[in-house]
Amino acid sequence: MSAPVPRDLSALSVTDVREGLRSGALTAAEMVEAAYARIDAVESGVHAFNSLSRELAEQAAAKVDALAAAGDDLPALAGVPVAFKDNMNLIGTRTTCSAKILADYRSVYDCTAVRRCLDAGALPIGKCNMDEFAFGSSTENSAFGPSHNPWDLERVPGGSSGGSAAAVAAGEVTLALGSDTGGSIRQPGSFTGTVALKPTYGRVSRYGVVAFASSLDQIGPFTRSVEECAQVLGVISGRDPMDATSVDREAEDFTAALGQGVDGLRVGIVRDLCEMEGCDPAVRARVYETADALGKLGAKVGEVELPSTQFGLPAYYIIGPAEASSNLARFDGIRYGYRAKDAEDVMDLYLRSRVEGFGPETIRRIMLGTYALSAGYYDAYYGQAQKVRTLIIRDFERAFRDFDVLLTPTSPTTAFRIGEKATDPVAMYLSDVFTIPVNLAGIPAVSVPCGSIDGLPVGAQVMGAHFAEGTVLRVARAIEQVSAFDPVPPLVRDLA
Amino acid sequence: MAKDRLAEVLQEWEAVIGLEIHTELTSLNTKMFCGCPVAFGGEVNTRVCPVCLGMPGSLPVPNEKAIESTILAGLAMECDISRFSQFHRKNYFYPDMPKDYQISQYDIPFCVGGHLDVEVDGDGAGERADRAGLRPSEDGAYTTRIGVTRLHLEEDTGKMIHVGGAEGRIAGATHSLIDFNRAGTALMELVSEPDMRTPEEARRFAQKLRLILLTLGVSDCNMEEGSMRVDANCSVRSRGDVELGVKTEVKNVNSFKALHDALAFEIVRQAELLASGHEVEQETRHWDAGAKRTSSLRTKEYASDYRYFPEPDMVPFTFDDAYVERMRATLPELPDARKARFIAAYGLPVRDATALTGDLALAAFYERAVAAAGVARSKQVSNWTLGDFSAFLNANGLEADETCVSPSALAELVGLIEDATISGKQGKDVFAEMAKGGGAPGAIVERLGMRQLSDTSEVERIVDEVLAANPDEVASYRGGKTSLVGFFVGQVMRATKGQANPGVVNEVLARRLAQ
Repeated sequence: MSAPVPRDLSALSVTDVREGLRSGALTAAEMVEAAYARIDAVESGVHAFNSLSRELAEQAAAKVDALAAAGDDLPALAGVPVAFKDNMNLIGTRTTCSAKILADYRSVYDCTAVRRCLDAGALPIGKCNMDEFAFGSSTENSAFGPSHNPWDLERVPGGSSGGSAAAVAAGEVTLALGSDTGGSIRQPGSFTGTVALKPTYGRVSRYGVVAFASSLDQIGPFTRSVEECAQVLGVISGRDPMDATSVDREAEDFTAALGQGVDGLRVGIVRDLCEMEGCDPAVRARVYETADALGKLGAKVGEVELPSTQFGLPAYYIIGPAEASSNLARFDGIRYGYRAKDAEDVMDLYLRSRVEGFGPETIRRIMLGTYALSAGYYDAYYGQAQKVRTLIIRDFERAFRDFDVLLTPTSPTTAFRIGEKATDPVAMYLSDVFTIPVNLAGIPAVSVPCGSIDGLPVGAQVMGAHFAEGTVLRVARAIEQVSAFDPVPPLVRDLA
Repeated sequence: MAKDRLAEVLQEWEAVIGLEIHTELTSLNTKMFCGCPVAFGGEVNTRVCPVCLGMPGSLPVPNEKAIESTILAGLAMECDISRFSQFHRKNYFYPDMPKDYQISQYDIPFCVGGHLDVEVDGDGAGERADRAGLRPSEDGAYTTRIGVTRLHLEEDTGKMIHVGGAEGRIAGATHSLIDFNRAGTALMELVSEPDMRTPEEARRFAQKLRLILLTLGVSDCNMEEGSMRVDANCSVRSRGDVELGVKTEVKNVNSFKALHDALAFEIVRQAELLASGHEVEQETRHWDAGAKRTSSLRTKEYASDYRYFPEPDMVPFTFDDAYVERMRATLPELPDARKARFIAAYGLPVRDATALTGDLALAAFYERAVAAAGVARSKQVSNWTLGDFSAFLNANGLEADETCVSPSALAELVGLIEDATISGKQGKDVFAEMAKGGGAPGAIVERLGMRQLSDTSEVERIVDEVLAANPDEVASYRGGKTSLVGFFVGQVMRATKGQANPGVVNEVLARRLAQ
């Protein structure tokens, strides 16, 4: 007699799972089975995960099933398989940041956003691959090899949260958390046909996510639908006493306004970004079609320019590396992580542990940042970049006087081939040219699939004013409906 | 270091001294950026958490109470409080610093531009060769105003324990261990202006700072345990020169005496180098209290680049006038004000007021004793507090609030002397009994039968006996040898076992001998 084949539960939404648990139609234990069955089926091609945490998932499932059996109220994410980017701490897992220097690092505490998901009944399936320390846009900078895009395994899933995006797109989990410093959630969301949100800076606690650039980093979700995105945001947002930059705001139900449509909303197409050289005309066309469709639904569509955002990329590549050079100093071989053998003295230990433990892109960013902060260069680089940041914030403030949301492509292209940009860092950096200004301004933005080109998903980026996630998601929901994008890649369809 | 040599050198050379003083805010319950407890010692690496260990992903959350303490200290030194302030990261690699950057302050500290008035009296006042522009006071003492450049807040590092080398120093060590219990403790750094000219002024400045911080209750300021750490910058120049000499920084100064002695050594060393045609090297030097000398710790070949930038894990701080005034209103009575009040309210000489207010517990003891004895006896209470009582405290290493001698008991003792129940000499014996836990002074006097003999007729009877027993001396006295009065007093005291009231004895003797 063969072992029972797990039911394919991967298509179930967060709400479906809760209903199923409540009615007794399914169990959380089955959800664990289904997730690992899907992982068994696709992971060899996708490589979304650095590590799996089946024991933790089963323990979490047992708790949820006990609640369901007792007829108790089920929390918001009960029984939902979730994956976390491998820069988020969770006791019982390694948190490697896809770096050799942390390859064996075991978490000693829980990331707040992770803890909130688990307290809401989610099942921790594993930790996802990423560009080393989140430096990259393809996951090719992972010390453990690249992840592959479920829509075309020869292409990248984007990055740096590429593993999280790929895991959701491939149905290995229902939702995943990523971190976004310059587009690291939204760009892989665009490449993998998932809904990917970077919340307002301060909306979600950063406690427990290994810092890249503290003033830009923000945790956010990957899901297959806008509704689920809103549900997860509700779970992970809110003031955390462990993060002094987290903002104290009333809890919001981000799903409440989703169905209200876009009638009367003012949507601004960011013309100078959309028309930028290097933006694939087909990608641009999808976004314009999307704008037209929103207009037909009653949105007032207009055009706007954000002239200072042309300096966003260079400013970002000063501020990001500057903060990173300081944040990554602690990986020194003294207390944890990789330590070079037979060092002669403490300086030799530092140098060799870091040179041997960090990958080339990490070393490049640390050098960039160290230089930018050096005496005599600070004003010309870091100081100047902060001024650009202020100008960009003003651009957005002006734009949001006339528009409720702004619209661009998420990335200038669809998913590129593995290796295509690996040797040209600047070409890689350009992949984030539309997403970076959002981090510099600290505003929320979501990437939502708005169509496809040659079988590859295209994401539209919807940006809103600070704390306007409700409006942003409402527009994203409308785009989701008009684009009628099918989030299931052929790889998964072929499994059936 | 011979004192004379320093005085000699300072006649010819002028020393320029500035201090950097780090004080751990030991009164706080928790560290600067996390919830770990603050305490000296403890099993190594037990007072730690992901934040103060700099574990990946952890974040600092500022301790509001630490900021309040710093602002209070700034107000006590008449600093300006920055209305906008922020933390910066000071980036450098060292194993005792878990994040490999220190959260500190850079261009906008919480407090700027204050001062302390430092009174220098006693022997140390003599170190100052040039008194121009100073405020002189009694007995050769003087007061000098020392500028406070800034007062900022930062986090302390862990402690390195070097194993295998001499005296725990890194030279010759086989390996090093790190204790992070101290890491992240709130550390207040004061930078003074280079306004001090003698080692004594530096010592007095540090002592004054300590007294203020103790008054505010923000730190225990224990130099031996390292909760107050003084680094001294010092250079010398020929008297009359305007340009500053090359300075050295002296570390490992673990007491006020060490601060004075290290600076005295350094001033003489630098002056002798320059006098013999050599140059002073800019360097950090280590004070060896045993050998009584400084030695080179490290040479600053090039200035370190700390790559300061604003700490992005925290939002900047803004303080409005209302906040600053609210803080100012919570300031307790500060040492200078207390001293002035002791002079005005108790009619004390400056010297007494300085000594009493220089020690918080002693000042509090004195005030309670005066309250019990009455202000009319304030000087007598001061004499006893600074005399026998202080000697007793010093001999036993006690604070004024740690003994069995209560302020009201001392007041009672003063009362017994003042109302002539016992003599001052007897008072000393009574105090000795009190200090041994012998009970209230009145009871001791009863028990020892010490009551002073003040009854005139009784004294007259004894005087008459003494005069009758010593006719030769009486004749000599009456013949003009009046110095014999001491002899008669002694005889009367012997006859009364020291209990006769000296005033009454003198009066009766004078009367009887004149007859």
